[in-house]
Formats: sequence, structure tokens, C-alpha cells
Amino acid sequence: MHDTDPRVKLLMLVLTVVLLLVFQNLWIMLASWLLILILHRSAKVPRDRIRFLLRALLPVTILMPLIWVIFYPAGEVVISIGFINIRGESLAQGLTVALRIQAMTFAIFAVLFTTDTDTLMQGLVRLRMPYSWGLMLSLALRYVPNFANSYSSIHQAQQARGLEYESTRGLKRVREMMPVLVPMIIGSFRSSEQMSIALEARGFGVPGVRRTYLSVIRFRALDWVLVALGLIVAMALLALNLAYGFGTDPIAIFP
Amino acid sequence: MCNVWFSYRDGDDVLKSVSIRVQQGEFLALIGQNGSGKTTLAKHLLGLLHPREGKVLIRGEDIHGKPVGEIARRVGYVFQNPDHQIFSATTREEISYGPRNLQLGEAEIVRRTERAMERFDLKVHAEQQPATLSFGTRRKVALASIYAMDPQIWILDEPTGGLDWRSEQATMTLLHELNEAGKTIVLITHDMRIVAEHAKRCIVMSEGRVVAIDETRRIMEQAGVLEITPPQVWRLACAFDLQPLSLTAEEFCWEYGRRLATESEISVSRS
Repeated sequence: MHDTDPRVKLLMLVLTVVLLLVFQNLWIMLASWLLILILHRSAKVPRDRIRFLLRALLPVTILMPLIWVIFYPAGEVVISIGFINIRGESLAQGLTVALRIQAMTFAIFAVLFTTDTDTLMQGLVRLRMPYSWGLMLSLALRYVPNFANSYSSIHQAQQARGLEYESTRGLKRVREMMPVLVPMIIGSFRSSEQMSIALEARGFGVPGVRRTYLSVIRFRALDWVLVALGLIVAMALLALNLAYGFGTDPIAIFP
Repeated sequence: MCNVWFSYRDGDDVLKSVSIRVQQGEFLALIGQNGSGKTTLAKHLLGLLHPREGKVLIRGEDIHGKPVGEIARRVGYVFQNPDHQIFSATTREEISYGPRNLQLGEAEIVRRTERAMERFDLKVHAEQQPATLSFGTRRKVALASIYAMDPQIWILDEPTGGLDWRSEQATMTLLHELNEAGKTIVLITHDMRIVAEHAKRCIVMSEGRVVAIDETRRIMEQAGVLEITPPQVWRLACAFDLQPLSLTAEEFCWEYGRRLATESEISVSRS
């Protein structure tokens, strides 16, 4: 996956997102999620990154089925806990939404984890995105680890002054986090200003200059095969969905 | 600190069997190349990082499991980058943030804040947004914020980095005053001139290990083995073959003057 052309990966990502939005079935969503996780492992994405994503998505994964069960009752009652009736269909719908969010996030990160930012930018530029936009995206991605480091340093600096917000919740927690958030925002503004000056000082934005690259991305035979396969599979699944209602029911694969 | 081992998640060991003892009221420098583990070690003293193995004790009390906020009453940490802590709308609020977290009474918070602003000449900026002040002044605000918390132990990570000579002198004078008042100072720096002029004792780190703990003069004498560069005045004294070698410009002037006087048979006094 690492060697695949970034444009192919982006096309696959778009197709995956479209299909995930089209299908409403719990089992299809579960299968998609598992497939994407297998893809991560086959691409040798470190386990701690996968664990980090799973942890980050945990609140949504729990919240979605809860919301569906409470606010969108549908289908037969399967279990009753106190005054809450858990209905099969609404639980399936909630789980489908949670898995969809997980699958989409993992699909996006599969591209990000396996594509060097420069290669990704080149891919986007070759897809007619203006170079400045591509660079902006690439810089934003490159700064994510810096942002995480900056959060850690600022948090420690404020802890050294007695800040403790781990035990607080809700709005109070947001207010208590201000000593960490404000320096982060100010720091981001400062570094973005410095970055723009540094870029301009090195000739960024000089009109009439055609950019060249040290290593140029090229479509290989395997990339064409992947594009063809991806399109055929996506079209086939969409056709099945439109003609036979494949994946439209929350529980039954064919209604 | 006894036999401390530490590694960041899934990483190599950053601290390897580190054992050090810092005496109360001493002025200590923590030196070593970039990535040698100085800052990681210092963060253990405040409980910001926890050892994988070993213990960190403050006055004989193991700090494991204690909240950082509680340790911060006794240990003040001035971070390398002042922008990592500045967030308040005014300098006064910024300085009072620490004492407020210590849950002191309002009158005591005001007293400490005013005293810190006066000590660092920040009264003129009291109502200004600290984030908009110059770098040197922001560093003063960071120092004043810790000063207002009145800790017994001060850990300072490169406190003079990016400061002009006058501000550097002011910072070091403050540290001397604090030290004379009985506070313990742990200074992390690459500036060997500052180390030579101010620190009584040094801890030298290399690749996560403590490779030497000794008086500053003894450390400078072993500079070649420890792969550190002594200050210019020390190297000048070496070039002039002065004995003893000089840690400060004053010592150099005295020794060199004494040699000239001996050569011309003039008697001189240190004053």
C-alpha cells in the first residue's frame, strides 16, 4: 500500500466513503470496518497508532448506539433495562453509524499513515489542486505531531503551576483547559506567521515559476489495475444496492 | 533520585540507572549534550514524568503517585519556552495564576503577585497582555510566575537562552539571591560560562547516564574526558598556563595580575 500512487489511494478513499454512506446494513459495515483494519495491519501501521485511533473514537462508538436506542425507537423490543426499551432495529442502526464513523476515520488514516506528505501533496497537485493549497495541506499534516508535542509541553508547564483538570468534566473542564488551549493557539499563530515569512524568504509564490520535484510520481501497471478493480467493485456494489436493495436494511443483507 | 530508568512509550531508554542527590540550598548545574536526558531528568523531580524503575524522593519522601500540583508547592519549574505558559489577559493575572492554584488566601495572592512584579520590574506591564510583550519580558513573566509560588527548589531549563547580556545578568543575580536565601537551584544549561561563574557543583549527563558529579572546577579539569567545552576564560588561562585555572574573568584577572606582579616583583592585594 505504501508504494501505491497517491491518486489511486485518494480515488479508493472517495469510493470507500461513498459506499460507506450508501450502505445502511450493520453486517456490511462490520465487514468493511474489519477489512479496513486488516488493511492497516497489512500496511504495517504500528499497533499503538491503531490503538490511539480506537481510543479516540471510543466515546462516539458508545454514544451513537445510545442515542439511537433512546431517541429513534424502531423494531421489536429485545431487552428492557428499567424504563429503557432496547429495540433491535434502532440498536443495529446506532451500531451501523458508529462503525461507519470508525471505518471512515480508519480509511482516511490508512491513506495518511501510508503516504509521505510530499507525495500526497504531489498527488493532489497532479489532480489539479493549486500548489499553494497542496502545500497548505501538507504543512498542516506535518504539523500534527508538533502540535501534539506542543500540547504536551504546555500541559506540563501549566501542571508545574498547579493546573489540574483531569478530575473535572463538561464546561468546567473546558474552562480549566484554557491555560493550555490559549498558549497553543497563540503559538500556532506565531509559528504560522514565521512559516509564511520563511517560505516567502525562500521564493515561495514567485509568479511565473514552474515547480519541479525531486522524485516524480508515475502511474504503474499495478496502479491502473487497482483503479479498474476499485471502480468495477464499487459499481457492482452500487448496482446491487440500487437494483436489489443490497445493504439497505439495518439487519438483513438483502431485504 | 535512586536508580531511575525511564523511556518514552515504545522508545529506547532515555534515563539509564540515574542516581543523584541534590543537597538543600545548593546551586547545581545539569549539563550535557542535546538529547543527553537533562530535561527528562529534571521533569522527574516535579513528577511530570514517572520512572519505569527507581524512586524520586524529596526530603526523603517518595513523590510517586503525588499530584504535580502538590509537588509544585515545593518545586518550581521554569520551562525553556515562556510561551508555553502565558495565557492570561494581563501580566498581573498571569503571575497570580500559580498562587491561586495553591489555594492561598486572596490577600496573600495579591501580596505575592505585587512582590513578584516589583522584583522583576513588571509593574509597568501589569495590565498589558503578556503574550504581546517582548521575548525577554515574557521570560521575566515566566520567572515571576514561579517566584510568586515561592518554591523551595527551583529548576530552570535554559533560563538565559535568547536573553541579552543585561537580562541574563539580572536573571543570574536573582538566582544568586534566591540561593543565598536558602533555595535550591538546579540549572539546566549549555552555557559553560554561566556554569563556571555560578554553579558550585555539576552533574554531567551523556546518553541518559550520569557520567560525572563533582565541583565545577573539577568538572572543568576533566572537560576533555567528559566531552564538554570549558568557558573561554578557562581556555585562555590554559593558554597562559595559569595555575590555578580560572573559572571567571575576575579569577583570570587576579591570577594574571599576580603573575605579572611576581615577574616585576610588585606586591598586589586581591582587593
